[in-house]
Amino acid sequence: MKCIIPGINVKVFGRAVHSLSKIGEEIYFEPLDDGLALRTVNLSRSAFASFIFRPSFFSIYDDGHATLRNDDDVLKCKIGMKSCLSIFRSLSSLEKSVDRCKITLNMDDCRLVFQLFCRHGIVKTFNLTFIECETLQAVFSKEKCNNVLTAQTRLLCDAVTNFQASQEEVTLIVSKEKVSFKNYIEDEPDLKKVVHTVLDLVPEEFDLFQIDAPADITFCLKELRAVLTFSEAANMPVTMRFDVSGRPIAFCIDSDSTFEGNFLLATLADYSSQSQVTASSQVGLTPQTQGQRSKPSVSAQRSTARRANNGSSKSKTALKNMSKVSVEPPTQSDQGNEDRILPISLLGEPEPQRQDSPTNIEEEGTFVPGTPPGKRFKSLFFGMSQSTTTGSQPSSTQHQVLAADTDDEGD
Amino acid sequence: MSLSTQESDENAQYVLYARLDNAKTMANILKAVHFKDTAIIFASENGLKVTVEDCKCVQANAFLQSSLFQEFVIKEEQVTFKINLTVLLECLNIFGASSIPGATTALKMCHEGYGTPLTLLLEENGVLTDCSLKTLEPDETLDFNFLSTNVVNKIITKSECLKAAFSELDLSSDILEILMSPDEPYFRLSTFGNAGSIHSEFPKESDLVESFQCNKTQANRYKISLLKPSVKALMQSTRVSVRTDNRGFLSMQYMIKTEDGQVCFVEFFCCPDEELENDEYS
Repeated sequence: MKCIIPGINVKVFGRAVHSLSKIGEEIYFEPLDDGLALRTVNLSRSAFASFIFRPSFFSIYDDGHATLRNDDDVLKCKIGMKSCLSIFRSLSSLEKSVDRCKITLNMDDCRLVFQLFCRHGIVKTFNLTFIECETLQAVFSKEKCNNVLTAQTRLLCDAVTNFQASQEEVTLIVSKEKVSFKNYIEDEPDLKKVVHTVLDLVPEEFDLFQIDAPADITFCLKELRAVLTFSEAANMPVTMRFDVSGRPIAFCIDSDSTFEGNFLLATLADYSSQSQVTASSQVGLTPQTQGQRSKPSVSAQRSTARRANNGSSKSKTALKNMSKVSVEPPTQSDQGNEDRILPISLLGEPEPQRQDSPTNIEEEGTFVPGTPPGKRFKSLFFGMSQSTTTGSQPSSTQHQVLAADTDDEGD
Repeated sequence: MSLSTQESDENAQYVLYARLDNAKTMANILKAVHFKDTAIIFASENGLKVTVEDCKCVQANAFLQSSLFQEFVIKEEQVTFKINLTVLLECLNIFGASSIPGATTALKMCHEGYGTPLTLLLEENGVLTDCSLKTLEPDETLDFNFLSTNVVNKIITKSECLKAAFSELDLSSDILEILMSPDEPYFRLSTFGNAGSIHSEFPKESDLVESFQCNKTQANRYKISLLKPSVKALMQSTRVSVRTDNRGFLSMQYMIKTEDGQVCFVEFFCCPDEELENDEYS
């Protein structure tokens, strides 16, 4: 692999790294035919972010496939976020001083090499150790989303600045008439004691407003801020694609033809307005070795346990199933990812409950949510098997990318 | 005027008497070597030399030449004492460290001789502060025996060249390797940290490099913890001279321009890290 980023694009690349650093602790590098992919996932696996820099983004782009007999030999690796961030630490000085950035893979010493060619002939070389890994890919299909909103970054930034810095989650309520951002309040029995913020936006404010099904979804604000720091600096519109609560929401920055950014955030499954007790959702991640490269679009995975009495066993099954995917040998993955995912992920088959209509009735009339959630629910951002509540669960979810780990857990 | 006669009478008792219109000048230079609490001050007719040492491995000297002062009187050949540098700096900044345009702190510094305190008289906009700092028995300072005749490699560059490199040092690395060579890569700083190795190369043709006299390829390693304090001096400086001698000892001299346009020098000496039999880092 060898690619050279011209000076004017180094800052964009650096900003992408900064934005990814707000989400995950490791950054996954993968040279693809159609560009260099940078990806990350957060520790609780509730947020996934990826940037793909197209060959046109670079002055020279060689993904290294040509010299290899087998596509499997192409190195996919991850490096620590901190070490990657240290290269692009000061964005302002990058812009001023860096003429070009060269990224190469030194297979002899097993180092990912970043070279910054700066003014005055100064060359900074970063030989970073890496860990070889499988492709990190969230499974999500943009096409399957009922609701699509495109907004200028300014609009979203203005909306988000209204929330307190300590606010962890925000609820997005959409209907055909309006879009509302509301702070999500958790664990507060007396709703009069907390600040409520609701922000209404009319459809005219959006560049694209396509709402097929009203929805009421809650996701983490921290990751949204990560999206906005990038899109704001790049001054690019953001497209939100989402369905109903419990299914991921995607933020896409793709108006530039030289690169695209996708952020996928898990959303809270809504307990309050339905009998359903457990519904767990997370950004589905499958390690893949093949078949993904030419397919930048992603598909969604959702595991839902529907009844109170069998909730735990259901989500256990989901976990087991997921690990099954992970251990499948690469040869079976040829026919593409979605086919494999379908049987286990319950994707689409059990139609997610349309719990939004009751919620909306409740929400639309009042600015302040009148009733506390029927059942106090914890954030689902800490793994898919909430209902099993085993002590070992949180740690296991951190390593889910590895087949062996999840396999053990499933047993 | 009786005041002036009184002043000269007063001054008669001092072995060291110095007057400075802007105390900030002195504070800034002292700040560049402030990485330990105590410093040894050598006063001679040339001015003040302030020496700070650490671990018996690194020594910093700040030179405040007598011309920097509006008045500088010394009655003995040399006056030496140890002083708490932190307290001295606090006194110099007693009217606030931030510089308000138009308001400068004037300083009068007196010392009556061995065993007596150092007295500082600071004045700003008519407000006076009297400070009396205890002086301590001076320690013996290190002699690095760094002779210019033994210098193997010497590079003088503009400081901005090194500022970024030093402020972004990978602190997960224990050592900083400084390579100087008549051939490529000429001048290179390297760290070997957890994430991997990081090299910054500076070509001799760079317009920031003002003088390049390297005779022999030398790559010496220095403890980052020892070199880190020199960053304070580097950040204030406009030019820096990096020299190594035949033993691998490092000398860095920083040229610092004061607010009133005078030039001061701060130098650092550092001994190299012991050479490793098996190069475990590379």
